[in-house]
Amino acid sequence: MEAIWLYQFRLIVIGDSTVGKSCLIRRFTEGRFAQVSDPTVGVDFFSRLVEIEPGKRIKLQIWDTAGQERFRSITRAYYRNSVGGLLLFDITNRRSFQNVHEWLEETKVHVQPYQIVFVLVGHKCDLDTQRQVTRHEAEKLAAAYGMKYIETSARDAINVEKAFTDLTRDIYELVKRGEISIQEGWEGVKSGFVPNVVHSSEEVVKSDRRCLC
Amino acid sequence: MFGRSRSWVGGGHGKAARSIHSLDHLKYMYHVLTKNTTVTDHNRNLLVETIRSITEILIWGDQNDSSVFDFFLEKNMFVFFLNILRQKSGRYVCVQLLQTLNILFENISHETSLYYLLSNNYVNSIIVHKFDFSDEEIMAYYISFLKTLSLKLNNHTVHFFYNEHTNDFALYTEAIKFFNHPESMVRIAVRTITLNVYKVDNQPMLHYIRDKTAVPYFSNLVWFIGSHVIELDNCVQTDEEHRNRGKLSDLVAEHLDHLHYLNDILIINCEFLNDVLTDHLLNRLFLPLYVYSLVNQDKGGERPKISLQVSLYLLSQVFLIIHYAPLVNSLAEVILNGDLSVFSSKVEQDIQRSSAKSSIRCFIKPTETLERSLEINKHKGKKRLQKRPNYKNVGEEEEEERGLENTQEDPDKAKGTEGSSKGIKASGENEEIEMVIMERCKMSELSISVVTEQNTTDEEKSAAASGSEMTNWSRPFLDMVYNAQDCAEDDYYALFVLCLLYAMSQNKGIDPVKLERIQLPAQHAEEKSSYNHVLAERLIRIMNYAAQPDGKVRLATLELGCLLLKQLVLSKSGSIIKDVHLACLEGAREESVHLLRRFYKGEEIFLDMFEDEYRSMTSKPMNVEYLMMDASILLPPTGTPLTGIDFVKRLPCGDVERTRRAIRVFFMLRSLSLHLRDEPETQLPLTREEDLIKTDDVLDLNNSDLIACTVITKDGGQVQRFLAVDIYQMSLVEPDVARLGWGVVKFAGLLQDMQVTGVEDDSRALNIIIHKPASSPHSKPFPILQATFIFSDHIRCIIAKQRLAKGRIQARRMKMQRIAALLDLPVQPSTEVMGFGHSSASAAQHLPFRFYDQSRRGSCDPAVQRSVFASVDKVPGFAVAQCINQPNPSPLSSPSPSSSGSGSTGHCDSVTASSTSTPSAAHSPSVDDSSAPEQPPIIFSSQMMLVDETSSAASKSGKNPEVETANLSPSLIPAQQPTISLLSDDNADALSVESLTLVPPIDPHSIHTFSCIPQSSLPSEVCGVTEGEGSDQSQQADYDEQ
Repeated sequence: MEAIWLYQFRLIVIGDSTVGKSCLIRRFTEGRFAQVSDPTVGVDFFSRLVEIEPGKRIKLQIWDTAGQERFRSITRAYYRNSVGGLLLFDITNRRSFQNVHEWLEETKVHVQPYQIVFVLVGHKCDLDTQRQVTRHEAEKLAAAYGMKYIETSARDAINVEKAFTDLTRDIYELVKRGEISIQEGWEGVKSGFVPNVVHSSEEVVKSDRRCLC
Repeated sequence: MFGRSRSWVGGGHGKAARSIHSLDHLKYMYHVLTKNTTVTDHNRNLLVETIRSITEILIWGDQNDSSVFDFFLEKNMFVFFLNILRQKSGRYVCVQLLQTLNILFENISHETSLYYLLSNNYVNSIIVHKFDFSDEEIMAYYISFLKTLSLKLNNHTVHFFYNEHTNDFALYTEAIKFFNHPESMVRIAVRTITLNVYKVDNQPMLHYIRDKTAVPYFSNLVWFIGSHVIELDNCVQTDEEHRNRGKLSDLVAEHLDHLHYLNDILIINCEFLNDVLTDHLLNRLFLPLYVYSLVNQDKGGERPKISLQVSLYLLSQVFLIIHYAPLVNSLAEVILNGDLSVFSSKVEQDIQRSSAKSSIRCFIKPTETLERSLEINKHKGKKRLQKRPNYKNVGEEEEEERGLENTQEDPDKAKGTEGSSKGIKASGENEEIEMVIMERCKMSELSISVVTEQNTTDEEKSAAASGSEMTNWSRPFLDMVYNAQDCAEDDYYALFVLCLLYAMSQNKGIDPVKLERIQLPAQHAEEKSSYNHVLAERLIRIMNYAAQPDGKVRLATLELGCLLLKQLVLSKSGSIIKDVHLACLEGAREESVHLLRRFYKGEEIFLDMFEDEYRSMTSKPMNVEYLMMDASILLPPTGTPLTGIDFVKRLPCGDVERTRRAIRVFFMLRSLSLHLRDEPETQLPLTREEDLIKTDDVLDLNNSDLIACTVITKDGGQVQRFLAVDIYQMSLVEPDVARLGWGVVKFAGLLQDMQVTGVEDDSRALNIIIHKPASSPHSKPFPILQATFIFSDHIRCIIAKQRLAKGRIQARRMKMQRIAALLDLPVQPSTEVMGFGHSSASAAQHLPFRFYDQSRRGSCDPAVQRSVFASVDKVPGFAVAQCINQPNPSPLSSPSPSSSGSGSTGHCDSVTASSTSTPSAAHSPSVDDSSAPEQPPIIFSSQMMLVDETSSAASKSGKNPEVETANLSPSLIPAQQPTISLLSDDNADALSVESLTLVPPIDPHSIHTFSCIPQSSLPSEVCGVTEGEGSDQSQQADYDEQ
């Protein structure tokens, strides 16, 4: 039953509460958006395959840190074991946009001296009439931190796929160029099983995947 | 798992006509379940869908219809779940079930709903179900499920999980079994669960945790950490050419994770848990492994050891992260005052006291290896766990064990199995340790004076002595700490020692009295009258080494040393450093000056480096916590940048880096020395933000030389401005409508960072780019101005170009001379560049002092709008002083006294004129000639007149080229600037700082007469500038001279 994937990337989704992290993740992993009348359904762990090129699949593991922020050791470990992340803010909530900087600072403190590849996501773009953050300023902020910017809506399924696949592609490029390397003891990137292709890093991964339980 | 991409509901059955969120639908689902009690290949999908739907209905019911839950309970529907689970139904069903349960618990918001779900014991049954944990996905969802449950824990819900009567707490005990799972995400989840449990303030539950699980869990945890540490140490020791760095940084990060976790537990502040944890940490990890390794480096033996650098590094991390007083106090006590008897005598005492008990070996870490003690505990813990009725995953545990054994390389773990119940003993043991420590302190307190004098013993001695019969008087750990500061060879260990001392002094948990005992003051220590001389001397020695040409001290070490020394000798009332120490420090500073002199070059790049280094040093002060997160310092100091190690954390490579290093050493020691002598820094940075003209400043331009131009920016914007060139800056101003003769600065940029190029097909235009100084040596310079300037004719264009180009060179030159002055260098003759004479140069060298003094005065005066003239008006003598300094640069400034209006300028002119003899022929007389006398004063704004200074005087500049240098518009000068070739040679020789500072009236005889007061621009034309008394006089003088 093991799906065939080239790499596994571990991603985190961060941002202020109520910006719609869980909805975005759920939309992506299940293609479904919980309607307003519906209970918000969230869970903190998802995975999905993404095909970035024909035949090249990447397994994404997505972690939502919701509810665990109070313990420094926990958030630290989350951040440290992720290769990439979506930094969400709500375009109808200026405060959440202003906090983007704090989120980046916080991750920086935790992952020193590593780095996480972030994409800045302006969420709830279906609510354009209530917009409080212009696309231009968001793009400017993203550029200042060397991030890409994308606007999404989980409700209308706008750019949800794109946000994840773009990020995946960027990370994939970095991995291919060797700027991100697979390391034992770090779970941000793992190499997977590729039929008919010998993968140099596979050994490392196998030993890593050994389960002691 | 991947089948889940289809919709949640409606997948299995087509009759979705009725509302899926209803009690009816749940009843239907119930019906489906009853029909399919056995899982087969055929109904698997149906069952999964059914479970999903049920979950969704439950979540809906939670918020909308309580009858849903009633029905769910009534029909005992959880049993079906369990039933499905217990059939070996395969991975697919397991994952689905776990995930839907997860979602269910995550989304239930009403307490009552939650109670319903938890009330029968089914959840616990699921928790203890023996899943196939070798499947990564199942493992992930399982632990996620436990974590979700743990997030729901509170004083009420805890009773559903913790059974007081059967002493059963499956959620917790099952979770902690995975504490050392190879997947870090699983470990994180386990940690979250434990923290969520400890956080619940339920005494019986916490007692259970302490009595039944704390010892095994914490001892295992500590062992787990310890084995990571040993792995880390191996990684350091086997490293060749930094190849292990990737792995090493992971292990370091792992250790940090551990410490943060421990700290998170400790700050929950559950007292009796903390006791057990502290005991284990101290007595099974920190003391026996970290601290013990401080002294026993060369001794073989079976006790596990790590290398000195690793031990120092890790201890620093401990003190940086953990601030729990009982723990850090005991640890600090041993390091600062303890000796090896902490280990050895403890053994004896234990044997005596507890000879009756067979379990003695359990807590004699000193005689046993860490591994063995841990092993015992581990087995004991396991046994207890195995007794748990619910425990099913036996095979799992064995594997876990194997994992542990693999990482440890303990030759004889056979002994380790003799564990016995010892949960109760934890606290007693703790007391014993503390007693031992207390005894030590008493003794060492007596001997403090002796010891501080005595620690000249080198490492060998202390190591040899540490064998068995250690005197009670010595403090080997402290000795080691002092000795490792020796940087004669390298600063490999010194850096860690400094970090350790720093971390201890910053630690909020450590009783300041403890630190006081070695006279290491805590961060905000009160008054003190003495300090630790030995430490101070060691620190100063490090500084001395750092200032040597071949010194092997890294910048990080030096910076930290400076930090510590300041902390050591600065008290509230100021510095208490002894003269002899200060003298030594001054010696080191002197050395650093000598060191930097070797690199001082006239090249442009030196100035840029000098200022860059200052910027990056002040903008990024050292963060010790970050420093201690970087694994790269664990490997021997290297010089090659190819390792990617930060510059401050390695040795310099190549001349450029050696220069940069010398510059930084100079800065640090200079700042330290000033600090300790309680003197303010008056020279650095070379350009102070507050001295510069800024946008929107309003300047008195009455005496300024301005060139009108049109500025076309890159984005096509076009504005009319007047270009003014100051000593350090060029600015673009527009007239102030409110005040006659004043202008508002619209842009100001440093001349030194400017590039001026002509425009090919337009002789009236210049391209000007000004870069913002790069914030780091690697970042690209960012242009703050990029524009084309168009002047009214090509002559003005040329003049502007000249003025800017020369201004640039002059600005740089001036700064270089100030650096030279800082280095006590005789200023080299630099005739070729600007045509300053030697004399002027030597005069200039002293001037920086004046520069700042005056600028201060200027800025103190609220009435002064950056206009020096304000102060001139108040202090008549000043005008003259300014005049002297009226330097240089603006090459083609107008010599017209009328345009410059004030007497001071008149003086300047004459002064400048005096320097005819100096080789400033660079001022291209030819151009000057061509710029001929077409000089109508330009009139702009309502009443204000400013004279465009290309100046009629140009005609005379042929014979008197210095004229142009004279007229730098003084009103644009924020403060007076030193300088340059204004006086004739003979007089300059006699010039001293005093003479400049004290505003010497210019001796008319030493000044060559300035004879070219231009007639073309009449004084009367020159707007309504009121001239001061002094100016009248001086002007008069000028005329007289003529």
